[in-house]
Amino acid sequence: AMDVAGPAGSAVAEPGPAGSAVAEPGPAGAAMDESGAEAGAAGPAVAEAAPPPPLPGLQLVHQGAEARVYRGLFLGRPTVAKLRIPKRYRHPALEERLSRRRMAQEARSLLRCRRTGIPAPVVYFVDYATNSIYLEDIVGSVTVQDHIYSVQQSGNDTGSLLILGEKMGELLARMHDEDLIHGDLTTSNILLRPPIEKLDLVLIDFGLSSISGLPEDKGVDLYVLEKAFLSTHPDTETVFKVLLDTYAAKSKKSGPVIKRLNEVRLRGRKRSMIG
Amino acid sequence: MHRTHRLELFPERSVTLLLFNRVRNAAALRKKAMEGSIEGALINPVMIVDPFQILVAANKAVHLHKIGKMKTRSLYAEIIFSLSPNNNISDAFKKFGISDSDTAVLIVVVVDGEKNINLEDIASQVEGQQVSLDELPQLTDTDKVKKMYKVTPQEEKIGTLLDSIVCRMSTKDVL
Repeated sequence: AMDVAGPAGSAVAEPGPAGSAVAEPGPAGAAMDESGAEAGAAGPAVAEAAPPPPLPGLQLVHQGAEARVYRGLFLGRPTVAKLRIPKRYRHPALEERLSRRRMAQEARSLLRCRRTGIPAPVVYFVDYATNSIYLEDIVGSVTVQDHIYSVQQSGNDTGSLLILGEKMGELLARMHDEDLIHGDLTTSNILLRPPIEKLDLVLIDFGLSSISGLPEDKGVDLYVLEKAFLSTHPDTETVFKVLLDTYAAKSKKSGPVIKRLNEVRLRGRKRSMIG
Repeated sequence: MHRTHRLELFPERSVTLLLFNRVRNAAALRKKAMEGSIEGALINPVMIVDPFQILVAANKAVHLHKIGKMKTRSLYAEIIFSLSPNNNISDAFKKFGISDSDTAVLIVVVVDGEKNINLEDIASQVEGQQVSLDELPQLTDTDKVKKMYKVTPQEEKIGTLLDSIVCRMSTKDVL
């Protein structure tokens, strides 16, 4: 379910279920000052009156539905730290388990990505006591979401979006061929490493990820992206089509997946299941 | 010559690295380390590609020490264990600790803000030449490291060897 309150102060609306997208354009960790002007101070319109205490040395940069994201230097490296936000409406035992599992899934998937050559942040430290994870901060990166916005706004070079779609299709094909299901594919969970023109992609936010060879799971993964993509970015149907076509061409197991995707589309919300 | 770094998550603690080459008394040092009479972790620099690798291990060890969840019996043993990509303690000591025939030694000291650790005292116990950490890359055996951490060819395209190593170190005990 989407948290409508959303992160205040964030420049763009985030339709994805987990609003914990990170990378903002511009300088990152080292300057632990101006990034605070972003989401942190305003805070979400939720129960907490006072802003949450920052981690030592790190600066709160974003508060999503699922986690608080901090940025700063850790052992001399620009780092992103994600601390899960406890949901008080859940039974504490369940909360602990879920929190633990999500973090473990994220860590495992990030390692899996690394071993199979799928670009994702390096894991620096996992704190099992507080269920927080410290990851490589891709300094100067931009989310695909922000990139598409800026390209569309500037009006020129929208042809590059088609190439972006190809690259995304290729990356997802590789990911799914490793039986890795992201679980929360949105354009804010894919980053562009600088220099942006190179269209070097990095996948992030694997908290809802899993391992599965089933075409159903891969189809749903793509469906989630399709919904997020088309609802966030108007007039990008061709881009997504290129993405899917590239996926189909590059993935060794794409046939059943695309077939499944079409079936899932028929199932979706507000779809008649008659006949 | 040595290098010190504060641990951001444990502001009172700092980690100091000392590197020695042309070491003649590795056997004696190893004995002292096993007895616990030397204030530091003695590490084989051949397996270390960058000081960051040590910092990650030290950070994890200090964290586990703080919450009482170390797998080994001392902080320094835990640092050595944290370097290993697997959960076998004796294997970690064998591969990352020093052996009698070693000629280079990396000593890692964790200092508690207030306590004054005497680095000269530690250095004096080593019969060898203290060198700058900048010489570490010359001592690294990259092939051995790749083999130890089982780095895949695909990985080398998306990051450095250090990235691969750190990832394995930090996620090896994920349940």
